Amino acid sequence: MKKRIVIIIKYAVLAIIAILFLLPIIYMLANSVMTSSEIIKAYTNSPEHYANFHVIPDQFSLEQYYQAFLRRPQFLKMFWNSLLITIPIVVIQGLVSVFAAFAFTKLHFPFRDALFFIFIILLIMPSWVTMVPNYMMIQRLGLLDTIWALILPSAFTAFGVCLLRQFMRYIPDETIEAARLDGASTLRILFKIVLPQVKGGFAALMILTFIDNWNMVEQVIIYITDEEKYPLSVALSSYAANDPGVIFACGAIFMIPPLLLYLFHSKEFKNAKY
Amino acid sequence: MKMKTKQAWTGFLFALPALIGILIFYLIPYFISLYYGFTLQDQFVGFANFAALIKSNTFWLSMKNTAIFSLIAIPLAVVIPLLIALFLSTFDKHTSFFSSLFLSPLIVPIASVVYVWQIFFTDYGVVNNLLQKLGIEPVTFFKGPWSMALIIIIFVWKNCAYNIILFSAGLRKMPRDVSDFARLDGANRAQVITKIVLPLLRPTTFFVILLTVISSFKIYREVYLLYGMYPDEHVYMIQHFMNNNFNNLNYPRLSTASILLSVFIIAAMLVFFMIERRSNK
Repeated sequence: MKKRIVIIIKYAVLAIIAILFLLPIIYMLANSVMTSSEIIKAYTNSPEHYANFHVIPDQFSLEQYYQAFLRRPQFLKMFWNSLLITIPIVVIQGLVSVFAAFAFTKLHFPFRDALFFIFIILLIMPSWVTMVPNYMMIQRLGLLDTIWALILPSAFTAFGVCLLRQFMRYIPDETIEAARLDGASTLRILFKIVLPQVKGGFAALMILTFIDNWNMVEQVIIYITDEEKYPLSVALSSYAANDPGVIFACGAIFMIPPLLLYLFHSKEFKNAKY
Repeated sequence: MKMKTKQAWTGFLFALPALIGILIFYLIPYFISLYYGFTLQDQFVGFANFAALIKSNTFWLSMKNTAIFSLIAIPLAVVIPLLIALFLSTFDKHTSFFSSLFLSPLIVPIASVVYVWQIFFTDYGVVNNLLQKLGIEPVTFFKGPWSMALIIIIFVWKNCAYNIILFSAGLRKMPRDVSDFARLDGANRAQVITKIVLPLLRPTTFFVILLTVISSFKIYREVYLLYGMYPDEHVYMIQHFMNNNFNNLNYPRLSTASILLSVFIIAAMLVFFMIERRSNK
């Protein structure tokens, strides 16, 4: 009996923690199926009238989604901008990092460890340090105010190399030596032996890189002056001020790509061993 | 011998694209910024730019706020997930369903939930509504010292998830019988955790701290989306200071700040790795 009470309490605590983590997201999703007028009515606040906690729609409606998809071409344009920036970053980062991480972990060449040390230092450097060198080069290459200014520096960060190296370290050298003695080429070893064993790490890299750049803010407001090129990660906040009636659906739609990516790889992602 | 040189060439070739990328966008321009850091209108001025930077009030304000934020938010975002992971490990059944729920703050874009935060925490918002009903004085989260508290809450909320996963993975790798034996020997729960579990969890903890520090550098995103370009002085961060100087393209000031901060971070990192190495002995 006593044991059962303990178990009930434990699940109650677990449920409270889960609600705390999920509340803002549930709130957004619930509010995204309200009509625009309901939203505006609920959240117009003043000293006399505080905003209420409003999570159950008076009336279920897809009006906001309809508005966002069919009546706000600007919204779709910004969404497209986000994809246009994020996908090339993830692809370049993935490709470049696989080769480099393999080289830094399993191949031997002069100055290897010294060169890798540069990557570790870069990994830690915050944007407030790296954006200055980035800016100087982007400006010299004439890339300011183009999406390349957002893509290139973010595609060549040290994150992918460091993360994948962490995974490849656990592959025994003997496996690679054996394959080499069998006459397998280095490329073949990488793609047939090493990559299948670091699937989880690669999934983690794709997901984390995607999410990180899907949220890009600081580079956009410095490198891009033409607001037509803004991705949603920045543009959505100006929507909130001008067009609050559709903001929840816009937020929900903006969430779809990272969510899909995560759902497709959640198993590898969670089983990834560090 | 021939094979060795061939392998060296392949290795170098494989690393080359990554090396070229960081050389072009990070290393070469960093040396260009060194030039700007020590000159003023093409005149070598020694450390004058650094002296001017250190005298700047806004620079110190941004350093102070970033330090306050890091010293409170990072420990919270490490300890709370550790406690939750320890709690999850006491369940007999699988809790992976819950840990994937916990991951959602990481996956949902910042911009998507910003409006929810605004409604909750604005002056006449949901949270103050609740406080008022409970008879507590309403709080201004978008002005004054509470704005820092709001940023810390959001950071912890967002970054707990991944750290719970990492800690849980670390706990799962732990040989279960070790703690079982200790329990048999009469050690109580608290002793098992502090004497056995935590020391074994040390490598995971270092990795979690490192990742949390890296995420803490990105808090500017939340601050910008909530407060815009010119926030309350309590949440004026280093990135704001840099952005103001980007806006008037003050190269010497930007370069000087970038160099100074990079040296500071390398120093902090060396200390961190030294502590890690010593604790692993």
